[in-house]
Formats: sequence, C-alpha cells, structure tokens
Amino acid sequence: MKQAVIVEYVRTPFARAVEPNSGRNKQGQLAEVLPDDMLAVLVSELLRRTSISPSDVETLLTGCVHQEAEQGLNMARLVVLHPESGLPNTVGGVTVDRFCGSSMHVIADAKNTILAGEADVMICTGVQSISRIPLAGWNPMLNPKIYGGHAKGFLNMGITAENLAERYQISRLAQEEFAMISHQKAAKAQDENDFESEIIPINGLTFDDAVRKDTNLGKLAGLKTVFKQDGSVTAGTSSPHTDGASAVMLTSQEYADTRGLSPIAILKAFASSGCEPEIMGIGPVEASKKALARAGLTMADMDIIELNEAFAAQCLSVLQEFERQDMTIPIDKLNIHGGALALGHPLGASGARITGKAARLLQQLNKRYALATMCIGGGQGVAMILENPKVLN
Amino acid sequence: MTDLSQQTFPFHMGEEIKKAVVVGAGTMGSGIAAHLTNAGVDVYLLDIIPKEVIQNGGDRNGIAKAAIQRMLKATPAKDPLNAGFMNPNNASRMTPGNIDDHLAEAVRDADWIVEVVIENIDIKRDLFARIEALKKPDAIVSSNTSTIPLKTLVEGRSDAFRKHFVITHFFNPPRFMHLLEIVVSDETDPETIRIMREFGDAKLGKNVLVCNDTPAFLANRIGIYFMFRAITETIEKNIKIEEADAVLGHPIGFPKEGIFGLLDLVGIGILPHVTESLLQGIDDDDPFCAFDHEHGLALIHRLLSDGRGGRKSAKGGFYRMRKNENGTKQKQALNLETDDYYDIGKLRLKNIQNAKKHGPRAVFEHDGNLAQFAWVVVRDTLLYAASLVPEIADDIVDIDRSLHGGYNAKWGPFELIDQLGMQWFCDRVKADGIELPPTLQIAKNRPFYQEIDGRLCRLVFDFKTHTAEYAPWVRDEGVLVLSDIKRASKPLITDFSASLWDIGDGIVCLEFHSKMNTLDPSTLWVLNQTIQLLSLEQSPYKGLVIYNEAKNFSLGANLGLVDAGFKLAKTPIMKACLLSSVIENRMYKAVETLVYQGQSVFNAMRNAPFPVIGAPNGMALGGGCEILLHCDGIQASGETYMGLVESGVGVVPGWGGCVRYLERCQLGQLAGKIKGGPVPPVREAFQAILMPQFSVSTSAQDAFTKHWLREGDYITMNPDRLLYEAKARILTMVENYTPPEPTRFQLPGFSSRAALNMALDDFYTKGDATWHDVVVADALAEVLTGGDTYVTQELSENDVAQLERECFLSLMKTPQTRKRIAHILKTGKPLREDSLASDKAKTLDELRASRPKTSLPYRSLDGKPLSGMDALTLRFMAKLTALLMSLAK
Repeated sequence: MKQAVIVEYVRTPFARAVEPNSGRNKQGQLAEVLPDDMLAVLVSELLRRTSISPSDVETLLTGCVHQEAEQGLNMARLVVLHPESGLPNTVGGVTVDRFCGSSMHVIADAKNTILAGEADVMICTGVQSISRIPLAGWNPMLNPKIYGGHAKGFLNMGITAENLAERYQISRLAQEEFAMISHQKAAKAQDENDFESEIIPINGLTFDDAVRKDTNLGKLAGLKTVFKQDGSVTAGTSSPHTDGASAVMLTSQEYADTRGLSPIAILKAFASSGCEPEIMGIGPVEASKKALARAGLTMADMDIIELNEAFAAQCLSVLQEFERQDMTIPIDKLNIHGGALALGHPLGASGARITGKAARLLQQLNKRYALATMCIGGGQGVAMILENPKVLN
Repeated sequence: MTDLSQQTFPFHMGEEIKKAVVVGAGTMGSGIAAHLTNAGVDVYLLDIIPKEVIQNGGDRNGIAKAAIQRMLKATPAKDPLNAGFMNPNNASRMTPGNIDDHLAEAVRDADWIVEVVIENIDIKRDLFARIEALKKPDAIVSSNTSTIPLKTLVEGRSDAFRKHFVITHFFNPPRFMHLLEIVVSDETDPETIRIMREFGDAKLGKNVLVCNDTPAFLANRIGIYFMFRAITETIEKNIKIEEADAVLGHPIGFPKEGIFGLLDLVGIGILPHVTESLLQGIDDDDPFCAFDHEHGLALIHRLLSDGRGGRKSAKGGFYRMRKNENGTKQKQALNLETDDYYDIGKLRLKNIQNAKKHGPRAVFEHDGNLAQFAWVVVRDTLLYAASLVPEIADDIVDIDRSLHGGYNAKWGPFELIDQLGMQWFCDRVKADGIELPPTLQIAKNRPFYQEIDGRLCRLVFDFKTHTAEYAPWVRDEGVLVLSDIKRASKPLITDFSASLWDIGDGIVCLEFHSKMNTLDPSTLWVLNQTIQLLSLEQSPYKGLVIYNEAKNFSLGANLGLVDAGFKLAKTPIMKACLLSSVIENRMYKAVETLVYQGQSVFNAMRNAPFPVIGAPNGMALGGGCEILLHCDGIQASGETYMGLVESGVGVVPGWGGCVRYLERCQLGQLAGKIKGGPVPPVREAFQAILMPQFSVSTSAQDAFTKHWLREGDYITMNPDRLLYEAKARILTMVENYTPPEPTRFQLPGFSSRAALNMALDDFYTKGDATWHDVVVADALAEVLTGGDTYVTQELSENDVAQLERECFLSLMKTPQTRKRIAHILKTGKPLREDSLASDKAKTLDELRASRPKTSLPYRSLDGKPLSGMDALTLRFMAKLTALLMSLAK
C-alpha cells in the first residue's frame, strides 16, 4: 500500500503580535517580516535539510487565514516565485483558508495527492502575520442572512470559550492552572533546547517570545476578563496573538526510500467534523473519533497528543468530553513541549506546527502513535493520526 | 508625509528658535519641554543623574525619561498638570538626558536654553557658568525662577551673556496657563527680547508680558498677596475655608476653586519658597509686611510637615475626599483650629447668589462676617495692586492681563474695581478710614477702562504731573479682537442666538452668543441670511469666518427645545385633553424639519460662492463640530476639543456630520492614514462617533490624528491671534473661489453593517456597551455603511444625508433616546443604561428591530439657502426659540 510520510519539519519562532488597527503603539518582533518572506526561509531550509531536488516538488501548499494584502494573491505561488525559496517555476502553488485548521488541512490534502499517486513530493506550509493583517481582515463584511441567526459567535472566539466554560463548568482557576502548566512545559522545553531542531531564527529572533517563564497563579488571577462581563476567560487563558510560519515536507514512502530519506512519521488518517459555531472549541472531539476509527485505532493507542490550545477553557472542555466518553487523555501525553497558550497561535501556521511537532515527538520519545487535533472558528474540528515508521518496523 | 499636526498658517513669527534645551525635568521643566515640542521645537530635557544610580548603577537619564512617560500617560481632562503633549508623537522631538553626560552636546546647537532647576542660587549660577562656556554666542539663556531677581542670577557672567539672558516665567501647567512673564533688565539686548516675545506669543501661544525685575514680577506679586491676605484673615476671623473660597472664587472673577482650593490644586508646597523670597525682595514698608502673614505661613508649614501638600498628596490638603462605606465620595474641609476635617456639602450663600445676578458688588453689600471678611481681603488686595503702579508696570492693562493669564482670573484688579464701581469702591475705602493710593486719587472717580468713540481706552498715569488721561488700548500687530469691532459697529444681521459682524476687508464674522453657544433655529436663520447676503451679485462681502470669543466655540445643538416639546406632550393637562399624541407627532415633524433645516443651511454654506473658515477655540462638539466640518477650512486654536458626541444622547449626527466625517475618513484613507478597502473609513467613523470619550480631540494637533482636521486646515497656537489669522487666511482664498465638488461615496452596505453589529454584540457581552448603545450603533452603522446598498453602487451626499435624517428620527422615536436627552439636560452627564439587567427579555437583534423604521420622502439638498416656505418656517422657529429661551430665563 502507498504511504505518505513526513520527512522534515521546521518553523519560525512565534512572536507576539499587535493587530495593526488596534491603535496601540507597540509592535511585535516579526511585524516587519512579510509572511511570504517567512515561508521562503522555511522552504529553502526544508530543501537544504532533505537535499531533495527542488524540481521534484509537485506543489507548495500554504494555509493562511484572512488572505488579503501581503497575505493575499495566492501566496503559495508567490513563495514559489520568491527568489529566496529555491523553488523553480514548475512547482505549483495553492493557498487554503480553513481558519485555524488551514495548514493541517493542506497536509491532509498533500497526503491524499501522494496516496493517489499524483505527486511524490509536496511542501505543506502555514503562515499568519497578525501584525500586518488584522483578524477578520481589513474589510469585515458578512451576509446578514447568516449572521444574526445561526452564525452568532462566528468570529469572536473568546465568547465560544466562555460558552464552553459555562457548559462544562470550567472554573477560572482550572483554566489558569492549565495555562500555567502550558507555560511551564514550554519554558522547560526552551531550557532543554527541545525546539532547536525545528526553529529557524528569523529577523534576529531565535525563540518563541510569548512564553512566560515566570508566570504564576497570582499573576494570572490578577488579569481582567476580556470577552465577557463576569466571564472567566482572560488574556492569560487565551492563546496570544502571534506571527509565525511552519512547514513540513511530505513525500511518498517510495520516494523517501529511493532517496535514502528517513521519514519521521507516516500519515495514517485524517478527519474533520463540524459542530455548533458557539462552541467551536469542542470540534476536536468528533474529528478525533472519526480519525481514530479510520486508522482502526483507539485513544488508548495514542502515545503523543497535540491538542491545539486556542483557549484553556476550550482544551479543558475537550478533555472533559473525551473523559465522559471513556477516551481519557493521560495528561502526561498531552502537549509535552507546551501548547499555543504559551507558544502562541499564528492561525494559519498552527496546524503544521502541531502535526510536525507530533512527528518530532514520536522520534524524540521513540513512541508509535500520535494524534494532532485542533478546533476551528465557525465550528469545526480536524484531526490527524501519525505513526512512527521506526517503531513500526 | 508631512506632519500636518505641526502646521500653522504660514505666519513666520517666532521662528528663530528651532532647538532648545530644558535643564530640570520636574513638573514645570518637563511641562515647558513638552510645550516646546508642541511648538515644533526639538528639545533636550536634562536633569541630574540620581544619586542611587551613581552609587548602584542604572539609567543615568532616568529622571527625564520618567517625566516623558508620565506626560505621555496624562490626558488634559484627567491630569492637566502632566498633559504637556498636545500629541503623543511630539515626544519624538524630545531627547531625554542628564546634565553631566549631555549638557555639552545639547547646548552646542541650541537657540535657547532654559533653566528650571531648584530655586538655589548657587546651583543656578554654577549651571549658567557651564552653559556660557558651551553655548553659541547668540543663543538665549533664561531662567524660570519665580523668586530670584535677574540681577542676582547673572552675577559673575560676561556682558555678552547678560545681553542674551532673560527670565522666562511660565505658570503651571505651561501648556494651559496663558501667561508668560519675560523679565528683562537694562542690559538685555532688545533683539533678545523681540525673539523671546515673538516666540512665546506666536509659537507657544502665550500672552507675553515683558516686565521689570521686581520681586515676584507681576502676577505673583499680587496673587501671593491676595492669597496670604485671605489666609491670614480666614484664620483671624475664624471663617470656614469652604465659605472663604465660595466668596473669593467665581463671584469676584477668581477661579471657582477659590484660594484654598487653588492652593490644593497647584500644591501648597510652592508657597513658602515664593513668599520667603518675596519678603527678601520687598521693602519693610511694603503693605505685604503690614499684616501678620507669619500666621498664615505657620499654617502652611504645619500642613507641609504633616504631608498634607494638596490634591496630589495622599493625605489631601485644605480639602480631601473621603470614601463613605457605601462607596460614595464625600468632600471634607480642614478646620484651621483643630487640623481636623469635616464634611461639607453644597453651600447656599445669599450674597453669592446675588453676585451671580448683580455682579461682584453684591458679595460685599451684605451683612455678616463673611461679607466683611471678603471685603477686607479684596479691598486690601485691590489697594495693593493700585499701589504697585508704576513700580511693577506702567500700564494697568499689563497688571490686569497678568492675572488673567497667570491665575485664570476673569477680572484683573483694575477691572474688578471698575466692576465694583470706582466711586463706590473709593467711598467705601475712605469710610474704612484708609487713605487712597495715588493711582486712585489721580483717577478721580473715573473708571480705569472707558469706551470712547467705540474704542476701548484705559487711564494712562503720569505721576509727575499727577494726572491721568484715557488712551486707546492698541492691540498688538496680528491681533484682531471681535469685541473691539462690536464696540465700534452694529451687526449686519442679528438674532437671539447669533450675529454677523463686518470685520473689515470684505470679510464677515458669524458669532454665536446663545447659552454655551448652543445652535438652534435662530443660529440657522442668521446663517441662512448670511449666505443670502454674501451670495448677492453686488455684495461687498466675500468671505465668512465663524468665530466667537467665548471659552468654548459651541457645545452643540440646543436639545432643551426638543426636550421641552416632548415634556409638554406628557403633561397631565395635555393628557387630559387627549393632546399628548398630537403634540408628540407635531414634535416629530418639528424635529424632522429642524434636522432638514440644519442639513440644508450647512450644505448651502458649503456650496455658497464664497469661502468659509471656521475658527474654533475650546470645545466644538456635536452640532458645533458639524458646522466646522462644512467649512472650506478650519483655523483651529491650539486648544481645540472637537468631536461628534451625539451618540451620548442616543442619536446620530443629523446636520450632515456623518456625511462630512465619512468624507474626512475617506480622505484619511487616501493619505495613507487608514488602510484600504471600503470598510476601514466606515469603521473609523463608526468607532469615533460611537465612542466620543476616545474620539473628541484633546488638542488641535490631536484633531489631525482623529481626522477632524485635514490637509489644508491650520493651527493658531495663540487664541488671541485666531480671528486675525483666520481672516488673513480667508483673504487668500476669495480670489477665484470655487465651492468644493460634492463627494461620491461607495459604501460597503448591509454586509458591513452586519459585521459592525457583530462587533457591537461583543462590546455588549464585554459590558462595554449598553443595550441602547446597541440600538444607536445600528442606526449609525446604517447611515455610515450606506443603508441597503452594495459596494458596487455609488451614493451621493444627498443619499447619505437622507439616511442620516431617517436614522436620526427613528432614534428620536425610541423612548430611551428621549430619556438620555432629558437626563443630560438635567444632570449634565450622559445616561448609561444598566447594561445587562435591563431588557434581557429581548435579544439584541430584537432590540435593533424595535427601532421604528422611519422612511421620509426623499429630499435633495440643493446647496442653496432656504427660501420661500422653508425660510418662513425657519424664521418662525427662530422666533419661537427666542421666545422659549427668554421664558426659560
């Protein structure tokens, strides 16, 4: 049977961002780096590390949310044409918007293309510059037939987190503990150089600058709620606005074998599922169940779980729901190097990050199966099952 | 891109100073430095290196940097003492540093170096010696001392240094206090005086008084006497301080805080220093030594040693605020005998109420301790001021003006004597057995100021011949005073709320003069007549300036009329006669007419065949802002606070404000200040109009940032020069004038409105918007997004104006908007609904839908003044307004 494998994963550091229309004078460390510049750096690094002939690449895929301005114009093709990407004109380019799930979607897409025998090498990337293009874009416009009825909470993610906190009775303290642990795990991973193999320094920045080594419950408790009066979600329990990009190289197993490449993960199965927009954060539950079923595996088989941390309340709701359905996720398998609450969540880039991270962790910890899953604004979940080829054999 | 906010109309006065150094980064020094950046000057702000930094390391420029940060945080409304920057970007003109490391590089290129260090003569002299060695030969050096004589400061310095040395005495806060005393000596080079005078006047916007090197100079010499006389007398006569402040505040033209309140405001700590050095400087026979000021001084020292330095001290000062258990605040006053505080409430003193009606004399024409106390204090102060002519100034005008600008007093001492009546004052002084000082003797019961042949004259004294004659007060070059014109002429057009004046050279000036300069049908009628007059083929007038001398340009449309009409409908009699709904419907019709009239007349002004310049000073809010937005250009005073605040009373701007502000935001987009696409300008306008608390400008420079002012608008830093410069500017426009083209709009329509409403839902959930805000915002979004339109369709100004009228009226039909209007009229504060509690039964969408949809017959604004039936209706409504307002009085 044909197989699609990840042979390499890299990303930029994730840098705190300030939306350009926020009226604030501050600026993030990657604010002056164009999103396609970030991608070009990553693509050329992938080519360098794998020594793959650039002309073997069938298509460059990019996941990115709010595609306009410098993030618009089918950026993937622009990256192909970018003088620093190292790709020839013969490579195709596709840019996809599936909100937060964008770059996991392109990995699934590339996997399927390879499995169909229509490509040997695909580069899957994701990028977001919140510093340059505000969330919802410069010109938010929405059909009133949709808004006002079904799609309340389509764009304000914070409210969806509040809704989940209410529904699953997640206390503010529980959210803050979860966030603090995420920062602690990320800080520890930084101290132990666990990100060294994946982060490509850019613009002088070498690490994820949203990680707060010194955060504690006292500090978190002092923050104001930002979405709802008398609510429980604060900036400290929401993933911070960040800029960044991530990229993985996919090939067919045969291609990897003939070129002597050593795959870090086999892409076993992917699934997606919709849910109510008002509680979009619960999306990973159904998506993961479908993906596990497709892979013929159970949650208990999973050794590594990357659950994107859009909000602490959202993650805790997902964990609670899994537990309710007898699919409890052991906490020591979850987001081992920290999650988006600490590292940041550049929307378009997060899917490729958690998928690439899951693959790396399989290698690093010598485990067999991993699940990477995330929620998506507007009410969706996506999930990917990965397998370690080395443990397999 | 040029920084428009730094643009003043091309008058080239005061341009010699481009680089300056301020040594001393205390409140005063940093305030001066900030105001210099406001004037477009590059400034070094230097202070000492803190001792602990020398010992332990740290930021050697820490003091200056902290001062800049402090000022960047402050706003004029909340913290005027620190709100030095008119625009935060001005901070980029300021380089923080320390004296040891940066004095040489800073002084090397400086045109002016001002010293604002502590009042210690040795430190100052040492600093001047260092500066002399470093500075350009013709660079001007000044001290901001308020206590040390000039001759003492320059001891040991060269002749060349002395030629270029003055005292520049600012008042705190330097941005807002209008007075700048420039103290000179015989040795000062006239060119130095000219440069500093012009710079202080045109660039810093100050009323500059060049004065002699006498103790405490002009304003403080009298001000300190006044305060000490009051303090001493308060102690001796056992007067309550809040009563003393009540009589020695507004009733006599002094700031409403009164003596003790003012000291709390500026900080009690400044008093001992200025007093001691004043005492050193004056002779023993000075009247200041004639009363027991030791008593007062002891009190001040006692308070200071107890850490009670005024409002900025945690312990308070003469007054303090206490929080009650239920969270409300209670003001307390100091008992001067026991040093304890006691609760105070609103005072109702008869002589104060009389003074409001009959002028300051009423304060004293009253029995009782308080009136006698006030009389003694004011009498002695006025006599003291009179005795200081000609010692501190030859011209009484200078002394009066020093108290206007230095103490925000409405009347200087001589003006106050005139207010009291010269004869009355002199008689009463004599009745007290006090001999009149020479000035009063020579005046021979004539008032100090007198209008002669339409010109304002004042007595000019000749003490050799013991005579005084009236001579006209000649204004400075570049100053045009509307009241001078009003004195000498009759208005071309006049009505209850506004008048039109001929200000010469074919230019006319529209003046508002209603209460708080609110706009009403009477104002519109005068404007309509004005347009007709100036549009005549043979009209001798070719340009219009809209300007007035009041503290605030205009506080907006007069809502009282609307409120009164709706209230009338609800009275029991009308209800009994079943007339309520009839009147209410008449009122809707009247409101609709009024909105149409305002739109039409403003639009006619914009399209008239002559140029119009709006020249605001102070607040220009709501309708007052809308009229400015229709002018060809705005010449704004440095302190202009403009914005559309209509949402606070539950309506949208209805006199074309939405159209014109949207146009400005589109211009902002073209200039690159707002990002691309159809939504950003709409969103910018939406946010600004919905949240006036953030969008009303905090200065004219800030108004550029917020799109109230645009390219082609200019700033006049000194309000005294505003009318002259507006007129000069309009004279450059009259030749070949063509009215502006109407703007076409491509607005994003209902899908953008849905997104804006979504944002409002989030605000509401967060508790930042009330349920009625959601309704008002929807109406505003409807206007600004163009209603039922698509981005592909083009809308005319008339289309948007039509939406503006319809949405205005639909909001007026909501009971909550009428409640908001009634509330602000009653309390002066906007009403905020209990956000979450109320109307929870309805969803936000239901609330939006509950706004009565109002579609009016389409009316096009034709750009012409109202005529025929429309003009008659306006005339009738103007008459009605006058009648109602007179009745209300």
